[in-house]
Amino acid sequence: MQVTINGASAAVSNGLTVAALLVEQKVKWADMVTVELNGVILDRAAFGSTVVQPQDRIEFLYFMGGGAAGPGPRAEVRRP
Amino acid sequence: MKSLPDNLHWETAVLHGGREAAPGAGAAGAAIAQTAAFAYDTAAELEAVFAGRAAGFVYTRLGNPTVAQFERRLAALEGGRGAVACASGMAAISAAVLALAGAGDEVVAGRSLFGGTYALFNHTLRRCGITPRFVEATDVAAYRAALTDRTKAIFVETIGNPRLDVPDLAALARLAREHGVALVVDNTAATPALVRPQALGAALVVHSASKFLNGHGTALGGAIVDCGTFDWSGPRYPHLRPYFERARQLALLAYLRHQIGRDLGGCLAPFNAFLLSLGLETLAVRMERHCANAAQVADFLAAHPRVQELRYPGRAAHPDHAVAQRQFAGRYGALLTLRLADQAACFRFIDRLRLAQNLAHIGDTRTLVIHPASTICRDLTPDERRSVGVSDELVRLSVGLEHAPDLLRDLAQALAA
Repeated sequence: MQVTINGASAAVSNGLTVAALLVEQKVKWADMVTVELNGVILDRAAFGSTVVQPQDRIEFLYFMGGGAAGPGPRAEVRRP
Repeated sequence: MKSLPDNLHWETAVLHGGREAAPGAGAAGAAIAQTAAFAYDTAAELEAVFAGRAAGFVYTRLGNPTVAQFERRLAALEGGRGAVACASGMAAISAAVLALAGAGDEVVAGRSLFGGTYALFNHTLRRCGITPRFVEATDVAAYRAALTDRTKAIFVETIGNPRLDVPDLAALARLAREHGVALVVDNTAATPALVRPQALGAALVVHSASKFLNGHGTALGGAIVDCGTFDWSGPRYPHLRPYFERARQLALLAYLRHQIGRDLGGCLAPFNAFLLSLGLETLAVRMERHCANAAQVADFLAAHPRVQELRYPGRAAHPDHAVAQRQFAGRYGALLTLRLADQAACFRFIDRLRLAQNLAHIGDTRTLVIHPASTICRDLTPDERRSVGVSDELVRLSVGLEHAPDLLRDLAQALAA
């Protein structure tokens, strides 16, 4: 099925939880990634129970490398 | 790289886990990203990393692959959610407190803190408007009495340095939790080889990684570990709320890196991170030997007629022995203090030692010795020295990894008339 990940269209397996999506997408530092699903930041406890749906908009947000997943600078960046 | 088997003991995981393949050549040792900044081919890529929408590094003050490797390994050792490394232990403690408290707030701390931490709390942070409330380090009721609605942290050391008192971490964690206050534990002297404060309910662990974690006296460093036990959306920490909205359980780590670390700049150097990571690999075996040697030295000194008092948490006479026994599973660290007749006797003892190095440090492969009153605690007032357990007659030993009979022989000759 098709979803949007960080602004780009992506084909992912059907019925994935968010936790499984992180694995399938080989997301780097997955334990340090915040996930935004359709504009809502997910609680980490929900990663294993939230199932990704077709056309979902998913944002993986990083901050441990120096990227700005915190408030402030991110708000000033244009979204794709 | 091959994937690792599941359910590895931490002693194995620290050797094999957390390493990222070095580019090219199959080097078995970790790579050192000795760089100030990180380049990207396109403006859009760098924008994405800055925006937090792509994994990557920007500038070593904010993050670095070698530093990140050390952070991940230490967080795993402590059983925490993640870690932020700092230039030194004091940088880590400053950052941890400033991440929780601001002007008008209070921190409740054990009275017998390491002198540097005591001075930070009592002078620098006080000047910033953060008021320390010092209490007897092992008296849980005293901590309870000192809590107010402005308290933002309870700060303790797993083994007070140099008073060597051992607070009951589980009891303090319960108290902190009841009040929605973060318990911050300095685990420098015990290390995760002896105790994981996370398992006892601590919110944060701080380290001077320069000591036992590095273990060889070759590099300064520090770290803050978020234990993953604390709800950072609580009402005591409204400044963390925007970070909680964006990062949820990672809120404190995000705040430490993006606000405190970015603004204060006390980052760990990549080469030091490499040395600290290397030290972590041998932590388990070193701590076993440190503890075994210290126990032998303690027995020897306690029986020596010139030693008026020997303080070591592993001895039954130590007031916190029962807590230490339970908390550290029968190991008691490498630190001990002895009291001699007077300062002159301490100086003679130190001067005659031929193996122990006379310097301001702990947690080296070699045995270290110091006279705290005239050195690391000389800036404290006499009252402050008493409260941190230091007198003119006190000598501190950090027992190293030497062959124990060699150490005992050296101690014996140094104490001989």
